[in-house]
Amino acid sequence: MSAVTFTVNGRIVTLDADGADTLLTVLRDRLGLTGTKEGCAEGECGACTVLVDGVPVDSCLLNVHAVAGSDVLTIEGLATSDGRLSPIQQAFVDNFSVQCGFCTPGFLMTLTALIADTPTPDEVTIRSALSGNLCRCTGYSTIVDAVMAATGQTERS
Amino acid sequence: MTVSVGRSVVRQDADPKVRGQAVFGVDFELSGSLHAVLVRSPIASGRIRSVETSSAAAVPGVRLVATAADAPRILSGLALADQPLFAGDVVRYEGEPIAAVVADTVTIARAAAARVVVDIEPLPVVASLSAAVAPGAPLVHADWSTYRPSPGLPDWPRHDNVVGEMRFDSGGVDDVFSTADVVIEDVYTADRQYQAYLEPKSATAVYEAGRYTIHAAHQYHFNVRDRTAAALGILPSRVRVIGHHMGGGFGAKLDVGLEPYAALLARLAGAPVKMVNDRVEDLLSCNSRENAIIRVRSGVTRNGRILAREFLVDMDAGAYAGDTVFLTSIALFVAEGPYSVDRTRVVARALYTNTAPTGAFRGVSGTYLYFALERHTDNLANALGMDRRDFRIRNAIDAGHTMLNGQVLEDSDLLRAAFDAIDEVAPWETLGRGPNRGVGIAATVWLTNPMPGAVTLRLEPDGSLGVVTGAAEIGTGAVALGVRQVAAEELGIDPDLVVLTMPDTDAHAYDGGAQGSRTTHIVGRAVQHAAAGLRERIFGQAAKLLDSGADELEITDGRVRMVSDPQRTVTLGQVAGAAMFDGGPIISSGSYATPAPKHDPDAATGLLFATFPTPTYHVHVAEVEVDPVTGRVTVLRYLVAQEVGRAINPAGVMGQIQGGVTQGLGYALWETLQIGDDGRYRQRSLEAYKLPIALDVPRVEAILLEHPADAGPYGAKGVAEPPIVPVAAAIANAVADATGGSIVRLPITPDDVLNALESSKE
Repeated sequence: MSAVTFTVNGRIVTLDADGADTLLTVLRDRLGLTGTKEGCAEGECGACTVLVDGVPVDSCLLNVHAVAGSDVLTIEGLATSDGRLSPIQQAFVDNFSVQCGFCTPGFLMTLTALIADTPTPDEVTIRSALSGNLCRCTGYSTIVDAVMAATGQTERS
Repeated sequence: MTVSVGRSVVRQDADPKVRGQAVFGVDFELSGSLHAVLVRSPIASGRIRSVETSSAAAVPGVRLVATAADAPRILSGLALADQPLFAGDVVRYEGEPIAAVVADTVTIARAAAARVVVDIEPLPVVASLSAAVAPGAPLVHADWSTYRPSPGLPDWPRHDNVVGEMRFDSGGVDDVFSTADVVIEDVYTADRQYQAYLEPKSATAVYEAGRYTIHAAHQYHFNVRDRTAAALGILPSRVRVIGHHMGGGFGAKLDVGLEPYAALLARLAGAPVKMVNDRVEDLLSCNSRENAIIRVRSGVTRNGRILAREFLVDMDAGAYAGDTVFLTSIALFVAEGPYSVDRTRVVARALYTNTAPTGAFRGVSGTYLYFALERHTDNLANALGMDRRDFRIRNAIDAGHTMLNGQVLEDSDLLRAAFDAIDEVAPWETLGRGPNRGVGIAATVWLTNPMPGAVTLRLEPDGSLGVVTGAAEIGTGAVALGVRQVAAEELGIDPDLVVLTMPDTDAHAYDGGAQGSRTTHIVGRAVQHAAAGLRERIFGQAAKLLDSGADELEITDGRVRMVSDPQRTVTLGQVAGAAMFDGGPIISSGSYATPAPKHDPDAATGLLFATFPTPTYHVHVAEVEVDPVTGRVTVLRYLVAQEVGRAINPAGVMGQIQGGVTQGLGYALWETLQIGDDGRYRQRSLEAYKLPIALDVPRVEAILLEHPADAGPYGAKGVAEPPIVPVAAAIANAVADATGGSIVRLPITPDDVLNALESSKE
């Protein structure tokens, strides 16, 4: 056990963690941030995706000590402090991009990073960016629709 | 003019889901919860010599270790009572539970579970369908003859490793085969498919005052109640099941999973117990879609009439009967499919093997049965030198077609409309042109599950409408959109004023679960029945407030008004408030179950699933390109014409089609659980199990065919299950067309494509 300090959704946290504690288990079990999901614990499904200093990572594979001093953003940190959804969150609601919703937090984190990086991504770029995120319900099309809407590339229906 | 039905209203549960606030089964935790993990058999078949638990029990933080000795000595099952909670004497599949460890944390529980020493003497493994019925095959269940069907079911023909057999024979089939112009015989195989819902199975249970409360993320809460009670030997009323958001199920969460274990362990531990599968054990133990072998033989005339067919199916039930034994019945409805055949023989068997028990997955056995039927249909057309689409339309069933169970399909001419609808968008003769390209077509008839459902509607003084139902929202939107929009329409209110409940078997009447596209259709009908009673009370109360007759009133836009004097109105909220001390709260309940269509129950033997209620009609067309170097298949276009009755929420229906087709593409091209000679799966993680990713799948072009006069709430029939059913058939036919070779198994691998290309050159 040793102490680690990092920022989660703008809040500084310091906690003791051992070598087996992943960022995912710390977020879910220690910090109560259960919006980040464990789908496979082997980096295949992307349900546990969070942003570390703006970069999407599988939090299930990352030892929590690896984020010491970093800025971690989770799904709970996407909406504004007054509760307004981010554009990509709102686009998921409007475009039927959510079915069961278990993969949704991971998709939203990956796409938040994509849009920050590439403000108007084309469809192939979107689908490529989503290579590490599995969705079993939607067949992906409405998720692509949401990105196009959130980036102003389609008329809002 | 509707206020709700037919509009693509967005779902209310999308907001908490995009915020990460929705509490799923794996997120739910009771204070003071302990954590349990199962110790599972490492081999597929063997006799248990001993289970040594003392060193696991000695690990600090471990509360108890349970084995078969701690569980009731009861066999139970969905169809057949053949399964113990824990293996006691023999293990029958890799992953079968042998013991459970309950500890303060899941980490401690897992570490201690690794210290349970199970000594198993290996026995011969029945690893394949052919091995199960080979002469002298070892019996997976030596005591099969002592087993009894689950309560309420009559027994059916079964023997040795044959746990179910459905048999139909119209007579005269062999005579036709000896005289027909052309006789074609094909053999097809299909591998297993894992449902691969993103949320692993979980359960949390607590035992208090002689009752078990189970927190579940499940498709069918009343089945969890009944199956847990059967496994523990108690009355169903001793079990309460409360639903939470669920991360997909696709059929795998219809039968019980971890729930009976969590319940038993909570009682033994005297504290709440939470269990969550890790992904590997979830995959290895999941009730996946069964592997199967299908033999199809047809005799046809030179001008393309189908005179006779034999349809022989072997399905792998795995180590326990599960629900696969029910699925043999589906073969009766697919043997002819949407085509006319004069004489037919159907034999479908479910076989025991030493593999994980199989079960329901969206489209169930229909996926591979239609794959076989439609590949074979292509072969018939090609052998006769006829166009594949023309051959289908020539033989397509017309209105009033009688199925093999004697059921008449009054509206089966809707199938022809589906053929036409696709052709208008993408003319058949323009598709699949060019080197290494091909086109495939497949047509299906599918059903809407008839299981009962119920609802209570509550009109509240704030103007909201409570829709109180045990129906489960699996993610499709069947409750969040379908039931909600029907309720809003019935009361003429904004759908945002509808408040939905989560399932609770203590609080709600029975619901048949999120299966077979039933929820919007069945619970929607129940809503309509309830709404009739609700309106009666509303009009009675409003008549007093407006000083009018109850029959002079109408509801519009959240208000009750006089038809003759629309300025005289009162809000629904005011009506509910006035009623509170004048007769009491305004509520009304309704129930519905689809009546069984008229049929001949003795048409076949072993027919556990005797009718095909509320049928719908579908045509799918796929255009593909194959890479002659790598064997990779690219889906260029995918078209669907789906008869839906009425789309309550068109965007929601389109989402089901895109999602269902994508699962079908995975089934057709990539996904497989192969079984080794040792009975163990070869694909043992999500890394090895290839699910479709965003780059793999095209945007599906779907046409919804509506017939609002049909039975159902505003005409709505089942929409969510059928889109997967024809996909493997359409893709396989397209790949066969592109390669000029033979495609006889699922999934279609790059090697299969290259072999098909090679064989076509010979």
